[in-house]
Amino acid sequence: MARRKATGGKLRRFEIIEVWITRLIIWALIVVTFIPILSIVTASLQTGDVFYSGSLLPDPARFTLNNYKLLLTTTKFPIWIRNTVLMGFAVGILQVGITVLSSFAFSRLRFKGRTNGIRALLLLQMMPNYVSIAAIQYVLFKLNMGNLWGLLLVLTGASAYNIWLIKGYMDGLPKELDEAARVDGCTDWQVFYKVILPLARPMLAVMFLMTFVGIFNEYIMSRALLKSPNDMLLAQGLQTFSTQFSVKWGQFAAATVLSCVPLAIIWGFSQKYVESGLTRGAVKG
Amino acid sequence: MRSSLTRRLSPYAYLSPALISITLLSLLPMLFTVYLAFTDASLYTFKTGFHWVGLANFVEIFSGSFSKVFFPVFGWTIVYSLLSVLTQFSAGMFVAVLLNNPNLKETRLYRALLIIPWAIPGSIAALAWQGLFNTSNGMINRLLVEFFHIDAIPWLQEATWARVAVLIVNLWLGFPYMMTICLGALQAIPFELYEAAEVDGANVWDKFWKVTFPMMLRFSLPLMISSFAFNFNNFNTALLMVNGGPNRVGPFAAGYTDLLASVGYKLTVNLNRYDLSGALSIILFFLVAGISLFNMKVTGAFKEDE
Repeated sequence: MARRKATGGKLRRFEIIEVWITRLIIWALIVVTFIPILSIVTASLQTGDVFYSGSLLPDPARFTLNNYKLLLTTTKFPIWIRNTVLMGFAVGILQVGITVLSSFAFSRLRFKGRTNGIRALLLLQMMPNYVSIAAIQYVLFKLNMGNLWGLLLVLTGASAYNIWLIKGYMDGLPKELDEAARVDGCTDWQVFYKVILPLARPMLAVMFLMTFVGIFNEYIMSRALLKSPNDMLLAQGLQTFSTQFSVKWGQFAAATVLSCVPLAIIWGFSQKYVESGLTRGAVKG
Repeated sequence: MRSSLTRRLSPYAYLSPALISITLLSLLPMLFTVYLAFTDASLYTFKTGFHWVGLANFVEIFSGSFSKVFFPVFGWTIVYSLLSVLTQFSAGMFVAVLLNNPNLKETRLYRALLIIPWAIPGSIAALAWQGLFNTSNGMINRLLVEFFHIDAIPWLQEATWARVAVLIVNLWLGFPYMMTICLGALQAIPFELYEAAEVDGANVWDKFWKVTFPMMLRFSLPLMISSFAFNFNNFNTALLMVNGGPNRVGPFAAGYTDLLASVGYKLTVNLNRYDLSGALSIILFFLVAGISLFNMKVTGAFKEDE
């Protein structure tokens, strides 16, 4: 419980019992956490009736890749994935670009409204923008933009929270670097481009990744704005499967595996940066 | 040398992309929503244009036929947000305390495994859970019937069970975040406090309740309150799992797992009642603003430290 220094010598009997009880509880928790995941992976690799039998462990006799084949050839899944990945890249890059410029201004430049500006933006965005869905849908439908371009526009809106997070990170970069660069005759832009931007790169990568994954999560806005199945993003597309789960459960499971495994792996590799980024940006100290 | 005017204006050039997009996509929609709230904008007036109706929409929400939807949904929104935060935080704290045992050498591995639900897009997970919660064929009922020999639970058909199911999925999705926060908080507790407690003869139980818990609560409180405000509007899981249902009897097709935000959303998306939806958004805004101001007062978050 406390951060005791791990004792060099043997553990006391009490500590051995404690650590094994802890271990058993954690194993149980991991099993419970992974049952749903395991069940999905199994369903994706077996012939259709896993949904009915409730079997958890894969049965080698019923192994098949048919679900994946059907998913890729008979459904719109490839189109949804393409839409989602393209949208993820577009929104991610635009968001990072918009955010990093503002964060730099808030962290390094002097201007009127600097201290209160970011607080005002945070307050303004306290409400997610889908609460203004009435206005957004009304205007976009009037403009005939119930499509992916309209959605791109809506999703690209700068996030005050991200600006605040990156600003916190930039505040942690030593000011002496800027000063040295300025002594060498750098302008604001050169300080930004040559000093701050390279140093902030890991944090920006994390932000890009989080935005990218966020697009895989996007459902609320797309359901309100998109009409054509060819325009759908992944979550909205997969939602159309759920009305016919009894026949498409295997294919749905395959789609879940194909879209989540790459994300989980990327996430796993960047976890260290995500954690340090979140805490460094949020808890200045 | 640059003129002082350029020098004064250049920061705004850096800010302009963000300011333009926030104006266009947050500020203006919000103002237009406020305007719509005082009109009769709906599917019927979409082509012909809408009219100013004063406070009629608010009267409808608080005392008209919509009040039969508004007040029960408001109640569930509060209960849901509270339970979501409390379950996620308790689970996250429990796991964090277990993982923080210094004699547990392989703790990094467990951490990496338990964080995985965080990495899975919540929308896709919610859809998968919908299948797993299926009453006759879903994995969960199959396991329960097989191991505990109980009757199949109508997870997605019956109001209370649907609510439990949504909370379970929210817990599954949300505990890794709270676990990460709590692990951070545990690292921040000074070791001397435990030594002092030990000198005073505290046992493991005392040390948890008198040192770990209060310290962790202090560190996490601002995050818990903002998580409460977040869950107030967090209807993604319920929308994807049960579409806010099962439906309540009555008009407006609001369901038992609907939150105020999702009722407003459905008013726009399904019924094109831009007028009522706008009015509901204003009410929601004041509620969430209240929570957030309270949060800033209590915790002093977002205070500039320069």
